[in-house]
Amino acid sequence: MKKGMILMLGLCLILIAAALPVVSSCDTTEEMYTVCITQIATHPDLDNNRQGIIDGMAEMGYVEGENVEFVIRNPEGDMTTQATIAEYFVSLNPDIIQAITTPSAQTVVAAAEGTDIAIIFSSVTDPVAAGLVPSWTEAAANVTGVSDWFEMPPQIELILSVMPDVQVLGIAYNAGEVNASVQAEEFKAAAATFGLTVVEATAASTADVYAAGMSLVGRCDAVWIPTCNTVGGVGIESIIQVGEENGLPIFGSALGMIETGLVGGCSVDYYWVGLQAGYMAARILDGEDIADIAPIKAAVSTIVYPAAALRMGITIPQSVIDAADVVLED
Amino acid sequence: MSAESLLQLKKISKVFSRGTVDEVKALNGISLDVKAEDYITVIGSNGAGKTTMLNVIGGVFPPERGGKVIVDGTDIAGLSEYKHAAYVGRVYQDPNIGTAAKMTIEENLAMAVLRGKSRGLRVACNKQRREEFREALAPLKLGLEGRLSALVGTLSSGQRQAVALVMATISRPALLLLDEHSANLDPRTAQIVLGLTEMIVKREKITTLMVTHNMELALRYGNRLIMMHEGRIVVDLNHEQRTGLTINDLITAFERASGSKFNEDELLLRG
Amino acid sequence: MGVVGSVLSFSCYEGLVFGLVAIGVYLTLRVLAFPDLTVDGSYTLGGAVAAVLIVAGVNPFLASLAAIGAGFCAGLITGILNTKLRIPALLAGILMMVGLYSINLRIMSGANVSLLREVTSFDIIANLLGMRNGSIVVSIILALVIAAVVFFILNWFLRTEIGLSLRATGDNEQMVRSLGGDTDKNVLLGCAISNGLVALAGAIVAQGQGFADVGMGIGMIVMGLASVIIGEALFRPKGVAWLLVAAVGGAFVYRLFITIALRMGMAPGDLKLITAVLVVIALAIPYIRKKARREWIPPAVRW
Repeated sequence: MKKGMILMLGLCLILIAAALPVVSSCDTTEEMYTVCITQIATHPDLDNNRQGIIDGMAEMGYVEGENVEFVIRNPEGDMTTQATIAEYFVSLNPDIIQAITTPSAQTVVAAAEGTDIAIIFSSVTDPVAAGLVPSWTEAAANVTGVSDWFEMPPQIELILSVMPDVQVLGIAYNAGEVNASVQAEEFKAAAATFGLTVVEATAASTADVYAAGMSLVGRCDAVWIPTCNTVGGVGIESIIQVGEENGLPIFGSALGMIETGLVGGCSVDYYWVGLQAGYMAARILDGEDIADIAPIKAAVSTIVYPAAALRMGITIPQSVIDAADVVLED
Repeated sequence: MSAESLLQLKKISKVFSRGTVDEVKALNGISLDVKAEDYITVIGSNGAGKTTMLNVIGGVFPPERGGKVIVDGTDIAGLSEYKHAAYVGRVYQDPNIGTAAKMTIEENLAMAVLRGKSRGLRVACNKQRREEFREALAPLKLGLEGRLSALVGTLSSGQRQAVALVMATISRPALLLLDEHSANLDPRTAQIVLGLTEMIVKREKITTLMVTHNMELALRYGNRLIMMHEGRIVVDLNHEQRTGLTINDLITAFERASGSKFNEDELLLRG
Repeated sequence: MGVVGSVLSFSCYEGLVFGLVAIGVYLTLRVLAFPDLTVDGSYTLGGAVAAVLIVAGVNPFLASLAAIGAGFCAGLITGILNTKLRIPALLAGILMMVGLYSINLRIMSGANVSLLREVTSFDIIANLLGMRNGSIVVSIILALVIAAVVFFILNWFLRTEIGLSLRATGDNEQMVRSLGGDTDKNVLLGCAISNGLVALAGAIVAQGQGFADVGMGIGMIVMGLASVIIGEALFRPKGVAWLLVAAVGGAFVYRLFITIALRMGMAPGDLKLITAVLVVIALAIPYIRKKARREWIPPAVRW
């Protein structure tokens, strides 16, 4: 047993030594800033967010390789590994940590407790409920960021403009994702003010998405998908299949999912979110105190996809197409 | 010791796979009166019901309705297996069944010593118990008393069976059931184990039922002999009737009692 | 602290906390020979119960104890499904894991409960010691104390009469019954204790990471199994005490490899592959050594 242990420790030390050259290049010097970025999983919108951060900082003069070193890690959905990543980031003592999505941001903030590392969150729907900032208008001592919260009425107005006769709307989402369930509640409340009823279907994992979609067929006139990683991200193809096969129009809430083949929706531009987070980072590196930078909400753009709508059995009125911010084509 | 029965079997039947093509009546209305300190050897051909009878006494499964298994005045027929343990100690043919391979000798014995008693949060192997175990193992003359911390899995079959035997008797149960417990051992080890059995049974005055395939053993040990055939007891010889019998006498007795020709080569060859 | 120190110390903390999960898995998988998959659910249950209670104002240590109780109950139900309803162990655990997902959502009234603005056990210890919250030293001390208490209690318990009966149940159930041991009760007790420990780990992690989330338990059974098996392969323990240590050691090694893989800076998505490769290398070392010395290589263990 003893030999096994010694060999083990030896192996570990060799590996750590091998990792050293990579890590030591992260030392902060006069000119090189260290910015760590993490997102909970690979996902088109989150990837856009990340790219926006990098581009936003570059726009403000902080260019990768020249005066900024980016350390990017992705736990691929594993929350336990996210904690390890957060701890790793903190140990590097970077200038800024960019955390994309709620669980990533929460983990990073917890790991950095007691230090004064500046943390910028993005794509967090409700940063106040998540405990990241004390209120929508105040930053925490070392935390601020960009929320992807959007108002519900514009979503419903878009659906009504395309399908004025809808009575019942359906939502499909993963109740285990905070963002999605918050949005689902908001949507139901907003729909009530428009005099519409809402039915729900939940999918606990990607495998359940198709069944959830099928369960909505015949129960509603149109379906709306919140920004849910399970249904709107990985499982979007299944939902589109349900919509096309059964003539059920599906609306979405993010460019990534609408692009794949939905009728349309109001989307937060995740690239824009990233840009804002990048600008915030630049302001802090320029010398501004993070506590002075209030968190901001994202703006929303209307997107329509006429060809996809046809496949789901409806035609988008020309007036709606003209009024949209983005018109997608095959 | 009083002459009252320690164990009474009343109208014990057992049917397996009832209602199917494979239905078999393993036990057919057996009644048996076992007196205290009896050492009964049980022989019979395969399928005669010997092991099934032991299993009913040991509580592995209950007899058909109407059957009673009375030990010391209490009918234990319907109780679950682990509740039978208070009354019955068993040694099986396979030495692996009676012991836990991944635990040490003293841990196995600590389990055995509490047979039928409630287990609590006292440390199982204390000094006092270890002394008790050493005393129980020493007469075996196998050196096991000095190896209390050895894993049972490292012992040979004979040693394991000896440990199983001590485990079955250390708590002084009312009954000891031996199911061909020397059958899987080589002749020399089988001899040792059987000798140990004799010694322990005599010393602790435990009422014993020993099932064996070997007519010679059946005649050599015990004070009473039972022969079973097709779920019934066909021959029951007490001490006087047994003494001086040979194997051939047994066969004749069998044929007379069961009315069928004796043709079990296995029993003859094993003799 | 230096890179090496930082890597080792964080792996130490994770090893101790996930060591609790490993010990829980060891208790059911090895001691009871009962493959219990409830772990994913009971880990999250512990986090959820502790988080909800802390937000409601309950003392964090009491909340953690309540988490143990919740895990205990979850394990009991798994055991009952198996012993009374005769549902196979594997399925019983899966059913519980699936059911607990919904239960956890209800307990948290949603998918996530934030603890960032609450006072947790870590905060209390940090204040006691006069150190900063979030310091790795605080984390290690808390985890070490809890792990030590668990170790001593289990080490004692597994040597008591009841503990012995539990161990024997996994080794030779038939024997235990014929010695008067109630194997059903043993299974219930073992599953309950195991899931109580796992829930405790979930409670600690939730307080450390600042939130409880319905997804936090996903993959926990894999981590527990990997830790137990790595620990057995590398430390080759004999006896109860060393087996417990080996479970924790296995967790430490597994988390260490993940941390190292992270620092190696490969493409983000490759992290899991690298971890797996590192573990394979680590487990292959004893095999290669034996082959080089032409020693006898024992047959492959199936699980």
